[in-house]
Amino acid sequence: MAITFTLNGKAQTVDVSPDMPLLWVLRDTLNMTGTKFGCGMALCGACTVHINGEATRSCITPISSVTGKKITTIEGLSADGSHPVQKAWIEEDVPQCGYCQSGQIMSAVALLRKKPKPTDADIDDAMSGNICRCGTYQRIRKAIHRAAGSPAQKA
Amino acid sequence: MGQGVRTNLPMIVAEELSCDWTKVKVVEADLDAKYGEQLTGGSLSTRTSYTNLRKAGAAAREMLVSAAAGEWQVERTECRAENSAVWHAATKRTLTYGQLTERASALLPPADPPLKNPADFKLIGKPTRRTDTPQKVNGSATFGLDVRVPGMLFASVERSPVYGGAPRSFNADEVKSAAPVRAVLELKSAHLTHQFGETSGPGSRNYSCAGVAVVADSTWAAIAARKLLKVEWNEPPAASETTASLREQMHRFASAPGAVIRSDGDFDKAHAAADKRIEAVYEVPFLAHATMEPVNCTAHVRGDFCELWAPTQIPGAARASVASALGIPRENVKVHVTFIGGGFGRRLIQDYAVEAALISRDAGAPVQVVWSREDDIRHDFYRPAACHIMEAGLDSRGQLISWRHRGCSPSIETFYNGTGISPSAAAQVDSLDFPALFVPHFRLEFTVAESGMPLGYWRSVDSSGNQFALSSFFDEAAHAAGRDPLEFLLATFGSARKISLRNNETFDVGRRRAVVELAAEKSGWHKALARGRGRGIAASFGWGSYVAHVAEITCHAKTGAIRIDRVVCAVDCGTAINPLGIEAQMEGAINFGLAATLKSAITVEGGRIQQSNFHDYEVLRMSDAPPVVEVYIVPSTEPPGGCGEPGVPSVAPAVGNAIFAATGKRVRRLPIRPADLA
Repeated sequence: MAITFTLNGKAQTVDVSPDMPLLWVLRDTLNMTGTKFGCGMALCGACTVHINGEATRSCITPISSVTGKKITTIEGLSADGSHPVQKAWIEEDVPQCGYCQSGQIMSAVALLRKKPKPTDADIDDAMSGNICRCGTYQRIRKAIHRAAGSPAQKA
Repeated sequence: MGQGVRTNLPMIVAEELSCDWTKVKVVEADLDAKYGEQLTGGSLSTRTSYTNLRKAGAAAREMLVSAAAGEWQVERTECRAENSAVWHAATKRTLTYGQLTERASALLPPADPPLKNPADFKLIGKPTRRTDTPQKVNGSATFGLDVRVPGMLFASVERSPVYGGAPRSFNADEVKSAAPVRAVLELKSAHLTHQFGETSGPGSRNYSCAGVAVVADSTWAAIAARKLLKVEWNEPPAASETTASLREQMHRFASAPGAVIRSDGDFDKAHAAADKRIEAVYEVPFLAHATMEPVNCTAHVRGDFCELWAPTQIPGAARASVASALGIPRENVKVHVTFIGGGFGRRLIQDYAVEAALISRDAGAPVQVVWSREDDIRHDFYRPAACHIMEAGLDSRGQLISWRHRGCSPSIETFYNGTGISPSAAAQVDSLDFPALFVPHFRLEFTVAESGMPLGYWRSVDSSGNQFALSSFFDEAAHAAGRDPLEFLLATFGSARKISLRNNETFDVGRRRAVVELAAEKSGWHKALARGRGRGIAASFGWGSYVAHVAEITCHAKTGAIRIDRVVCAVDCGTAINPLGIEAQMEGAINFGLAATLKSAITVEGGRIQQSNFHDYEVLRMSDAPPVVEVYIVPSTEPPGGCGEPGVPSVAPAVGNAIFAATGKRVRRLPIRPADLA
């Protein structure tokens, strides 16, 4: 079944089973491996993309549900790593293994769109769905504050 | 795998080579004998590479200088290497390294090139941002699961629910007719070669899982088709194991004398005569690695040749295990190492490489074996559960005079090396763990527990659970003596001095004291905390590094819920190559240790792992992470120690000790249960 949507600003059509999760359409059908597989049950956030600007777990999003919608993946945030959140991640030296970071960044970008100057509590709420086993949480928090242009808050 | 060696190891070379760091590019090497041993684990990378990399950089620098001097027909001593160029001050001439490489490579490398004076270091010791961040923030970094090769297929494997079992029958034809699959194959279990090169002795249990592989054109097709599989399993004896049965066994074994690992003085006599005696039972569960990237591997077998794309910590072991499983020569196995989405010791085991090779061979195509999160949690090589029965005695002055630790757990060493190893080798305790050397009548015993579970190395290995028992019980002794835990710890250490150990190592009491004092000072140890809040301290030594943690927590009186408010870490890892990377490792280790302290446990019923995903195998999330984490690095010119693991062991006891300070309740089992504290 042919399904059409906008992907990182470009029109895209795929012909796959309608129940195939967006995550696997991105990774296997379209060869865009920046969005990661971590759990398959929307428990870890590694698969986070934006659908019409909203942070969404692509592993449980059937492709049929994105017809006509605008999807942004990590690859679409910027052409050259210049998105303020990407730059903040580099400034704060955030990643370790890096596997969760596509999802972390996508969640952070969505948060900052809704709350340009998030509090630590806002960050907890928005980011607790994204697991990092290497434990970069404190740097993620700092990077979000940096991208927001506010000094890091301390408890 | 994220630990930062892609940055700090090149820094070492670039320092001696006198490079312009902004012009340094890092490229991952394939497995190749010319590089020597390629392994990451055991917090060894920096420790074992430091001197060799300095020499390599220095040798290349000397050759470039010689090449320039030859080009200019001047004395070598008039030339200076700096910022990726050689300079001749007198004539103001300069040649870049790029201009000199051809001439330099014709020269003989000096065997013993002069190394820089550390006082002249320009790069080593400076906080340096990671070289791989740009590709990790734009989605381009290639992890194991991101490997794409022409014509590749994808496999999803249903593995024996009980370790050691095998399929008796399965409905291959039914699946093939109902779903678009390329193959439905039996996957046989393979005895893995030992990951560190020695042989797996008789009685070793390190096998890959048996199962049924569904091979399809895409990951989703394989996952979907696998749901149609119906498998009947032959169950091994491990099917009778439960968490309760193992717990009961370990408690029983640790309650009786075990193999003596260390005995100083006369524990029985001194303990009987002690002014005050305390005892306690400490327990930790099995733990899964739960790396963010589920286990996976891509293999392409063509005749007697195999090419692997593996997120592996030991490419040489991947080659050896695959060669053995396929019955082909090792030199026919090529290994590309991808980025690894988390290791923590899981990727030391090469089961995923063997699986991919076997399935590729039988499918006749390149195959990527994708483990689901459920597969990853259920078919791990777990950090063993353990039981520690501790006894200590204090004299009338409140000094520790007797200490006995009886440990019991399944043995990782036996799992990989076989049942013929000595009790000392099999023991999952260290005869040098504090307070050994500091209590006159000291006894350490260990009994191996019988378990059918697969076992593996989990970041900080034995120390991950042992230090919880040791530092918590030591804190119990402090409180029993009516003494401040910090004062008790420093008094037990005694004065700064060096104690000679076996293997020419030295236990440097001064360095141990220094991290404890630094952590205490920075945490404001003596400042009072509000009611319901508490501070705890714990320290450990291992992998050549010294670490101390002070944890500050709040305990909710009614619910027992714990909030980690602040963790202060002091670390002495010898020469600090990249302080920014060291801080990252310590921060990460705190969060990793807190997951084990507060959240995670693997339980077993009928030999089957009960957990499957992040809803029941819980790990630390942003909202659990302490808002304040401070890392203080002790300046040092000692040889570099490790940083990957040393930051983990003392986290759990620092938290447990803080909880006692806040509530008067002692945590003796992990993960901490709020119900126990309410």
